[in-house]
Amino acid sequence: MGKKLRIYLPFVNAGLQEVSTYRANWIFYILGDIMACFVSFFVWEAVFISTGGETFMGFARSDMVVYIFMSFLTGQIIGSGGTYDIGEEVKDGSIAMRMIKPISYNSTFLFQEIGNKIMEIGIIFVPLVAGVEIYRFAVTGSLKFDILRFLLYLVCCVFAYAINFCFNICFGFTAFIFKNLWGSNMLKNTIVGFLSGSIIPIAFLPGVLKDILTYLPFSSLSYTPVMVYMGMYSGWEMLFFIGLQIFWAIIFWCLSKVIWKCVIKRLSIQGG
Amino acid sequence: MIYVENLRKEFKKTIKEPGIKGSLKSFFKPKKEIIAAVKDISFEVNEGEILGFIGPNGAGKSTVIKMLTGILSPTSGSCSINGKNPQKDRKQYVKEIGVVFGQRTQLWWDLPLTETYTVLKEIYEVDDSRFKKRMEFLNEVLELDGFIKSPVRTLSLGQRMRADIAASLLHSPKVLFLDEPTIGLDVVVKDSIRKAIAKINAEENTTVILTTHDLEDIETLSKRIVMIDKGSKVFDGKIADLKEKYGQMRELAFVSSDENALDILSYAEKFGLEGDDLFAESDGASFKVRFNSSIVPVSDMLSYTLSKINVKDINVKDADIEEIIRRLYKEGVQNG
Ligand SMILES: Nc1ncnc2c1ncn2[C@@H]1O[C@H](COP(=O)(O)OP(=O)(O)O)[C@@H](O)[C@H]1O
Ligand SMILES: [Mg+2]
Repeated sequence: MGKKLRIYLPFVNAGLQEVSTYRANWIFYILGDIMACFVSFFVWEAVFISTGGETFMGFARSDMVVYIFMSFLTGQIIGSGGTYDIGEEVKDGSIAMRMIKPISYNSTFLFQEIGNKIMEIGIIFVPLVAGVEIYRFAVTGSLKFDILRFLLYLVCCVFAYAINFCFNICFGFTAFIFKNLWGSNMLKNTIVGFLSGSIIPIAFLPGVLKDILTYLPFSSLSYTPVMVYMGMYSGWEMLFFIGLQIFWAIIFWCLSKVIWKCVIKRLSIQGG
Repeated sequence: MIYVENLRKEFKKTIKEPGIKGSLKSFFKPKKEIIAAVKDISFEVNEGEILGFIGPNGAGKSTVIKMLTGILSPTSGSCSINGKNPQKDRKQYVKEIGVVFGQRTQLWWDLPLTETYTVLKEIYEVDDSRFKKRMEFLNEVLELDGFIKSPVRTLSLGQRMRADIAASLLHSPKVLFLDEPTIGLDVVVKDSIRKAIAKINAEENTTVILTTHDLEDIETLSKRIVMIDKGSKVFDGKIADLKEKYGQMRELAFVSSDENALDILSYAEKFGLEGDDLFAESDGASFKVRFNSSIVPVSDMLSYTLSKINVKDINVKDADIEEIIRRLYKEGVQNG
């Protein structure tokens, strides 16, 4: 295993360097996303004001701020570009260049992405968490930060990323069949955004929908880690939802293997 | 070393009809067509051989290479390289081969060139001392020194191609696949790349399959060619045999003081040559004539020309392979 990992380390390194090459570009994206968080913040403020209460369906006003910004941070941590990258590589045929190397196709994506992430998350993680906690302290007057929940949050993020990565790989492989993926990718991102609770907390949804979304894999992506961080779950609930995450991670991992096996036979590399 | 048996590859293609109506129609009810890009091709390559794989654009060369390198599965037929089936155990198989697709790069676009080699070193598990020696060798053969520290995206096409070939050779593969390695390069760079390929083949006995539609590549590098057209093999053998079989075209170039020498000579009428069998062209003081020497012996052509006009200088050119291929392609079109 150690030797195997060594093969992929250069991909982490290359991922790191990629980010530094395009850093300016990336910072603008992040700034855009943070603006979107503020928009979302004002929308929820309006909701709280119009309902006239300090709490809304179990969420205090300050919780909502934590929810929005932690959802954003979680989204950054677990984000995976596999779908897009695979789609692009299939479209222009450059997937061939990975296939002529004695390496696992999926792993190269994984490690390159981890390289990207180390850099990106390294920049935004501390300011965001600190910002959120300072806000909470200022509003409620007491320090809510809990180191155990924080560590569990990180564990949840790892599982969430595993699910998202495999899910995106599965989705990306459909590119082999549909060839042009861009349209379906946009659609997917929006739908997953909703289903994972990163747009509206799942707790706010009406009965049946809420129950369904709780058990679908998407809630494992963003909702579970954020709820764990916020301390919305009891000990047993936490265990249950982390278990659910592991379950989905295994399912999608197996699925991605199966799909890869099927797809490699149908692969048609385009271009000279 | 390399055995290819009845290799065949079909692609499904959706046909788009023009216009909005056509787009809508093909969206809801796509019209599928199956095209055979490679039709039952068989050939063998011996260890240490350089095989020239030639054919016009769209003949199916790249498709064959993709199947041989394990990135496409054949529709039917089989290939075995070094006793291995490329489709079976891809990760093991690709350790033994090097691949360059001239129209793509395996280099890390945003990173300095050296970084790509460090990555490859890890991927192929080349140890430090071996890596150092190898880089020295590749540096010497492909002259990478001048740009090895530059980001790949800043390299010229010729530099990039040399760097790509070096990348494919880092792990000392037994077989090297080169798909159009000289495409789009200028004469000097082409020449240096050919020399590098020849040197690697000579020093390491690397088996090379080289596709190209630049016939000079083939003429300088390989003794044997396989020619395909429209997915089928049309010739397999030594270049010398090809020349003998199809190479009856000869070219004579004259320098003459007669201004309108070609009019005086009127070869076509004299020898009854027409179509592909005759080609004559004049630019002022010199003119050249290309003709089928199996119809008109070179000696006849020479003596006739000398008897008719005042010749200052003569140049006789050997059958050149470009001409042969041109004729073969034409035959292919006619027969097909
Ligand atoms: N992925 C693909 N899908 C559909 N048709 C393809 C694909 N790849 C190649 N073809 C077709 O197969 C034929 C052979 O292509 P190719 O092997 O690239 O030729 P060459 O390399 O000799 O120029 C062409 O007609 C091309 O259009
Ligand atoms: Mg080609």
